[in-house]
Amino acid sequence: MEPKIGVYICHCGSNIAGTVDVEKVAEYAKSLPSVVVARDYKFMCSDPGQDLIKKDIKELGVNRVVVASCSPQMHEPTFRRAVQDGGLNPYYFEMANIREHCSWVTESRKEATDKAKALVSAAVRRVFYHQPLENKEVPVHPDTLIVGGGIAGIQAALEIANSGHKVYLVEREPSIGGHMMQLDKTFPTLDCSACILTPKMSMVGAHPQIELLAYCEVDNVSGYVGNFRVKIRKKARYVDTTKCNGCGTCVTKCPVKVDSEFDEKLSKRKAIYTPFAQAVPNVTTIDRAHCTYFLKGKCRACEKFCERNAINFEQEDEIIDVEVGNIILTTGYKIFDPSVIKEYGYGRYDNVLTSLEFERMVNSAGPTTGHIQLKNGQEPQSIAIIHCVGSRDEKYHEYCSRVCCMYAMKFSHLLIEHVHGARVYEFYIDIRSFGKGYEEFYNRVQKEGTVFFRGRPGEVTDVAQTPEEKGKLIVQFEDTLVGKQRRQPVDMVVLCSGIEPQADAADVAHKFNISCGKENFFTEKHPKLDPVATMTDGIFIAGCCQGPRDIPDTVAQASAAAARVLALINKGKVEIEADTAFIDEAKCSGCRICNLMCPYNAISYIEKDKVSRINEALCKGCGTCVAACPSNAITHKHFTNDEINAEIEGILV
Amino acid sequence: MGDNAQTTFLDEVAALPACDKINQCIQCGVCSGSCTTAMHWEYPPRKVIAMVRSGLKDELLKSNSIWFCVSCYLCTTRCPLDIKPASIVHGLESIALKEGYKPPTTTTTMYRTFSESIVNNGRIYEFGFMFKYYLQTNPLAALKMLPTALKLLVHRRLPLTPKRVKGKADLRIIIDKLSAGVGK
Repeated sequence: MEPKIGVYICHCGSNIAGTVDVEKVAEYAKSLPSVVVARDYKFMCSDPGQDLIKKDIKELGVNRVVVASCSPQMHEPTFRRAVQDGGLNPYYFEMANIREHCSWVTESRKEATDKAKALVSAAVRRVFYHQPLENKEVPVHPDTLIVGGGIAGIQAALEIANSGHKVYLVEREPSIGGHMMQLDKTFPTLDCSACILTPKMSMVGAHPQIELLAYCEVDNVSGYVGNFRVKIRKKARYVDTTKCNGCGTCVTKCPVKVDSEFDEKLSKRKAIYTPFAQAVPNVTTIDRAHCTYFLKGKCRACEKFCERNAINFEQEDEIIDVEVGNIILTTGYKIFDPSVIKEYGYGRYDNVLTSLEFERMVNSAGPTTGHIQLKNGQEPQSIAIIHCVGSRDEKYHEYCSRVCCMYAMKFSHLLIEHVHGARVYEFYIDIRSFGKGYEEFYNRVQKEGTVFFRGRPGEVTDVAQTPEEKGKLIVQFEDTLVGKQRRQPVDMVVLCSGIEPQADAADVAHKFNISCGKENFFTEKHPKLDPVATMTDGIFIAGCCQGPRDIPDTVAQASAAAARVLALINKGKVEIEADTAFIDEAKCSGCRICNLMCPYNAISYIEKDKVSRINEALCKGCGTCVAACPSNAITHKHFTNDEINAEIEGILV
Repeated sequence: MGDNAQTTFLDEVAALPACDKINQCIQCGVCSGSCTTAMHWEYPPRKVIAMVRSGLKDELLKSNSIWFCVSCYLCTTRCPLDIKPASIVHGLESIALKEGYKPPTTTTTMYRTFSESIVNNGRIYEFGFMFKYYLQTNPLAALKMLPTALKLLVHRRLPLTPKRVKGKADLRIIIDKLSAGVGK
């Protein structure tokens, strides 16, 4: 079929036409080889603009289309669709960027017009060699894997399960619930955190469509969107979960005491334990690292007293294979450890606490049954709450942790409520009360008597300079609104520790083939327009693993990620773009250089044929293997040597 | 574009060595909160930076602030934006001296007599420099220091003659090269 090229020069209002002489370029295009029609129009992306193309295909037999307009990032899909609607293969289309690469980068009319002509000439020569490629379709497996059983994972799991599709919810701790389970009341409504979370946890535990895999971790992931294969390790609890009914007898009999992670080490748990009373699943777990039987071969008291014979010391980790179509990562956060900030005295002084420690203390189900107390058991009369600990600081984390201003105010409210006559001083730099009801909560807390001092403290010290300061912790700071350095003696200091990604975030990202940012938060596809997708199709993220956020936003993101997954499941198939690479196996020497070069792990070596083969579904068309192949055996569809050379010739002519 | 005098002073200070980040200050107050001598400053370190940004050159350089910096560097270690308030303050000291502001403290005399002693001898000559310092500032105060001086003498900690280094001429060359381009 002889190529008949139609060229369309867009004015883009005055964006292009204001600098480029579009009529001259259209006239020039008419003179180019194989061009049968060249037009210029105000807005090619509009319906009438697209109709121009379709009309010419129908009436003039145009079978190759060039549009000279904006960046392909903007409208390549638009024009490909228009060409397809006109009856042609969408890959018979080429775009010349005469806006971002031309009219927007110079003020010289002559230079812009000359460059536009060159770009159009290049596109015309290139499109001559375009082939009718077909997008590949792969089916989407309807099951979903969600990694992380905090509020984000729980929300996403329920959304998907409620639509009738199966979810595997993997959580590495013995119970789901995450950090939200540790909180007392939540801002700004002062809802009891456990009261709003546990119903959702129960629903997850009971849902017929959710396979809850608690005390499990993902070992390995392979595959691509719609078709992931995941190896999940079910860690040995040494307790038969089909028999254990959570009665807790074993826990009372266990002689070993260990610092409780859930209580931030403010209390002890046993070597056989459930992390908290409302655990889902409600079964115990033996902590092998502290169990007397595993350490010394003695005891086995739990086994002796278990009426259901649920203890099994011979249990081993079990690996299961699971197939899913999509994955949502909701692995959450950990809190910044302020021991590195020596001047605040965490770990040195009694009565300097992190925010999570304070949450456990103020929680009525916590280590002190909700009594705020100093190390010596007395109630503090004055408390300092220091904002921005480990955040907004180039030495630790440059970012703002978003939730600390609000939880600091919440602490203050709870302190004034729990401790009669308590005086609370908040040391802040800025107040970030951005959400619904947040500013109102700030006003309420001030009305209740909290005193806000603007000034990031220089240090917390116990060296008294006056008799009033004896026995106290003194916060030394500049009261910036007054303009003087002052000292504020208090009984207790609470540090608003910032939010950080989990310690193994970088490893998890690597495992799932997604990226991490500078601070190890998972990287979203686009920070504004695509916050729950990643650059890896089929893998989504939600909640604090993507960046610090509060519960309302986490839940919103989890629902968003679930919606994205459901969209893919509903469609049932996924289109893979055709501009992938393929290997001419006759030319392939089996050197395997391409295997290592591929950033998407899309190339595998086929042992029996002694050649490499590209998985088109994983291939993103980056071109690395094409350039690397020493035998010239790899072709990049839509970016063949002919096409690229023609484009270069067109510019040089 | 705004008041020209404002941008000039800020630009002037930002151009000083190690002072380029002054514009990033979020006025958190950690510098003032950590400063070991803050109670003596008319305007604590944070305010000094704010005044530079607002172009309040006269008010600032006429005050006693900046002259109390003892270079403990607590401000610099703790600043969350990696700004160096100590460098800014010392930079302001040189601007003040260059432009003839009379500092309301004897600190400058101390600096000058101290460095002259080193330049002349290659080493600090405590007795000589202290003698000159008190002569130029407050001779009667020297009498109050007499008991301490005698104690030091007895314990052989106050040499009465200077110890000079060998390469004094070489030292002179280095000092001259460094002083070139810097106002006296």
